[in-house]
Order: sequence, then structure tokens, then C-alpha cells
Amino acid sequence: MNGRPSHLVPNQEPATSGQRTTSPAAPASSPAGKIPGRETDGPAVATSALTKRFGERLAVDAIDIELPSGVVSGFVGPNGAGKTTTIQMLLGLVRPTGGTARVLGHPVGHPAAYLDRVGALVESPSFYPTLSGRRNLEVLTRLGRLDRARIGEVLALVELGDRADDLVRTYSLGMKQRLGVAAALLPDPELVILDEPANGLDPAGIREIRRLLRRLSDEGVTVFVSSHQLAEIETICDHLVMIHQGRIVFQGKVDDLLAAQHSDLIAIPEHSKDLVKLAELCEQEGKAAHVDGDVLRVQASGDWAAELNRRAMAAGITLRGLQSTRASLEEAFFAVTERKDR
Amino acid sequence: MLAAFSSELVKLRRRGVLLWGLGGGLLFTVLATVFTIERAVNTLQPGFHGHGFRVTVAQLSQPDGLVHGVVDVSNLVGIVALCLFAGATASEYSQGTLRNLLIRQPRRAELLSGKFLALALFIALAVLLAIAVAAGVAFALAPGKGIHTSAWTSSTGLNDLWHSILHVYLACVGYGILGTALAVLLRSPGVAIALGVAWVLPIEAIITGAIWSNGDRWLPGQLLSALAHGGNSSSSYAHALVTLTVYAVLTAIGTLLLFQRRDA
Repeated sequence: MNGRPSHLVPNQEPATSGQRTTSPAAPASSPAGKIPGRETDGPAVATSALTKRFGERLAVDAIDIELPSGVVSGFVGPNGAGKTTTIQMLLGLVRPTGGTARVLGHPVGHPAAYLDRVGALVESPSFYPTLSGRRNLEVLTRLGRLDRARIGEVLALVELGDRADDLVRTYSLGMKQRLGVAAALLPDPELVILDEPANGLDPAGIREIRRLLRRLSDEGVTVFVSSHQLAEIETICDHLVMIHQGRIVFQGKVDDLLAAQHSDLIAIPEHSKDLVKLAELCEQEGKAAHVDGDVLRVQASGDWAAELNRRAMAAGITLRGLQSTRASLEEAFFAVTERKDR
Repeated sequence: MLAAFSSELVKLRRRGVLLWGLGGGLLFTVLATVFTIERAVNTLQPGFHGHGFRVTVAQLSQPDGLVHGVVDVSNLVGIVALCLFAGATASEYSQGTLRNLLIRQPRRAELLSGKFLALALFIALAVLLAIAVAAGVAFALAPGKGIHTSAWTSSTGLNDLWHSILHVYLACVGYGILGTALAVLLRSPGVAIALGVAWVLPIEAIITGAIWSNGDRWLPGQLLSALAHGGNSSSSYAHALVTLTVYAVLTAIGTLLLFQRRDA
């Protein structure tokens, strides 16, 4: 990647300190997938009608994906939706039945042309149980003709340095997961593809993975992370690809998806006797509203909050609370998939 | 290919591989040597010309007497090789580590070839170690049974020793090709090893004994046995070598094509 700093090494605090940034992501319709302020030549991954059929079962159904470079893209969908099969096709592990795909500008039919710049963790982390974590990484380092010094760096990065010489069979699932992430980072990749990296991790481990992914993104690395943990994806991703029953049901910026979902204003009058009057005010403006306990739920975007406040004051109603709620990614996911199912 | 070779060497340093790969061959060859020498007799019963562990002191005093026992158990050393190649290759599928390897080395032919070469080097060391230790045991036990060892160190004896090592090793590589092919085909260490061992031991014996009397000239296990012995009554060394070379080339091509084309 042009202009990207050298190796990601431990003990360099990310600029964001693990907090969510608002890196702009290119919309799915953007032909080049360029990110403002980044020097990229095109999308990191682009597929066209990519299809995989296992016998009678259509696992991936003519999907078109375009992943912008330099951002964290989430790949979400329920189990069996086709996430892992898609990832395996991008990595040259599984042959597509139809369609085309390019990774870092190269067709997936020639994985040797790009895999030296790609790090990946596919499905569950798989290692030789009777070799140490360090030896397992040495196997991959030798195979990829990589710099042996990277082994210590990536082990420190995933905080496995003190257990690096223990046999992998003594590792917990979370430690194996972190070793898998370390293996993915060995080649100092331009593109990192992680399949369910948070599986088996405790909350602290998940937070570390989240920080790591943000840090990779800050370094200019493109990250494509699949998960069925939608809350996690919502936290770390700028761009999103949603797959359901082998088909792409959404791709684009996470913020765009959430903004397009149904949102509510919650108004809390000082006196609950004003709830009905307040509801009538909203309905006069064409906004559906219903009383929910001591609060009024109004189907309106956050932009209408100020207007509601003004109208309530004009009617002599004092609001002690007014907030807008936005749909979560989980709600958005179900909204989108249910629309597609209909 | 060298990267895959180097990578595989790291895996071969595992304690279990060393124990079973080196120890298995060593155990069979040393036991065979001990049995052969300890059971050596001065004269055989009329009509019995001596084979297996039942030989005469005079036979063992010949230049080729040093590794007599080793050659007799070469099939078992070959089985160790088959298990090693099949286990090392098929476990990459069953453990899921093949995906990691293919991401770092997507040129599949190079990956499999490098792996095979590393295993072939390992089995060469195993054969050398097994024969060296067996020879040491033979030299230690021979005087107690009145076996003369001077012929073993003659130029003819050393030439016989070298050829025995080469023949046993080539047979082990043949077993390794069979093991690798079964591993790629079946993708399960247990199934690949079980089928491989079953084929070269009972199944071929049943085929040659009950179905196809001329099968010992063409069946791979029988030919590998002939190769390890430097030729036998069924197949000359040249016939075994040429036929097995054809089999090996065809098997290697088929295995590589399958490994390259199938989803990982």
C-alpha cells in the first residue's frame, strides 16, 4: 500500500487509542472505492457475480462486493449465510463456480500474485498442537519466506509473548484465536481477512482485537472481518457487507445503513397527564406517536427533536427529557433481511 | 519448493514424529537383527534353505550377513514410512492447518513437493539410523554365536551394505508415495493409514494367494518388497524398479492434480 508506514509493531499506541473513528468509507456504488485522503489505486476486493455451488446447494449466489481500501469492513450474516465460503474463495482456497473476483487487483484464480500481501484467519484457528506457538509461526514464516523477526513482534502484539514457547495444545481457545491473528499479521499485510476473530475471546480479548483492528486501519491496512456478533461489528467497522442466504443484502457505510432505518424520538413530559396532549401535537404534524408508560415514542428522526420541543413549549408542556434513538446494527440487519425474505 | 521443505522440517522436529518415525524403524530393525543372530543355527534341516530369522551361521558370515535381518523386515520399515507420509499429509486436512499453509504458499504443487522431499529426507535419516544401530547390534552379538564378521567389512560387504540401504530407502520412498496419495485422496490420517496398511499386507496377500497368482509381479506392495530385497523369486530388481517408477510417476501426477484442483 502506497505510503503505508512500515511494520506494525507492539508498543505503538494507535492514534485513536481504541476509540471509534469516523473514517469515511466509500459508498458501495463508488467505482473505485477510494477513500478521501488515502492513496489507493482501487478497491481492495472486488467481486462480480461470484458464485459457489456445492452440489445442489448454492452457498454463494452471484455476489458483487467492493471493499474500499484502508478501512475496516465488516462482513455480517447468520451462520451458513456464505461468509466463510466467500472468504475462502478470496483466499484461493475454494474455486468459484462462477463469476469473477479480484483481490488487491489480481484475479483470485492466481492467488500467488497477491497472497504475500494478505494475512488471514479462516474459520477456527488451526495449529499443530504439539508445537509451540512460536514454532507454529516459524512454520508459516519459513513457508512464506517472511522475516523471522516478525514472529516476536506479532506475538507481542497479541500479548502471547510470555506463552510463546508453550505447546499450542495447552492454549485456551482465546489464546489460539490470538495466535491466529498473529499468524495473519506475519507478512505485514496490506489486507487482513479475519473470519470470526472474536470467537472464544473474553471481553478483554475482544477489546484488544477491536483496538488492534482500528490500529491496523490507522496504519492504512484494509481489514475485512466477518462476524455474526453484530454489536461488535457496529463498534469497529466503517463499511459493511451484509450477506443472507448467499446473497448480498446491503453494502456501504455503517452510518448510512443505520440512518436509513426507522428511528424514534422519546419525549418525557414533566407531568404524565400531558402525554396524550403531546401525542396529539405530534399527530397533527403527521408523526406517528404512541404512549409507552411514562414516555411518548414518536416516529421521527433526531432532526425533528427541536421542532417537537418548540411545539411542546408553545402548548405549555414542559419536557424533562427528549432523546433520539437510532436502530442498532442488529435491528437494521433484521429489518433488511426481513424485507428481502418477503 | 525449498520454502515448503524448510517449513516441513520444523514440524518433523516434533517429539511424536521423532519417536514414531525414527523409533519405529529402529525398533523393527534392531529386533530383526537380534532375532536373526540369536536364532542362527549351524545347520538347517534338510530341504530348508533358510530365510527370515531362520538362517545359518555360515550364511550370516557372508558379506551380506550384516543387514540380513534388516532387509527381512524392510516391509515393516516401509509401513512406518507409509504411516509417516500419510499421517503428516492427511493431518494437514484433519487439523485444518492446510488452509494456513495454502495462504502462505498458494503454489500447491510446490507445497506438496517440498513437504514430500522433507519427509523423504527424514525417512532417509531414519533408515540410516536404523541400519547403523542394527549393524552395531549385529557386530556386538555376532561373536557370541560364532559368526565371522570379517566379510562384513570387506569391500564386497560394504558394497552389499550400501546397496541394501539404497534398496530399503527406495522402497520406503515408494511406500511414502502411496501414503501421500492416500492422504490427499482420503484426507483422514486414520483412514489413509488403515487402508494403506491393509492393502500392502493382507489384501495383496489374498489377491496373490487366491485370485491372481501372477499378481506378485505387478501389485505395488509385492514389488516394493522385491525392491527392498534387491529382487526376489517373483520379480527381478530391474523389473521391480522400472514398474514401480511408472507407478510412482502416475501416482504423483494424479496426486498433484487432485491436490491442486480440489477445494481446501
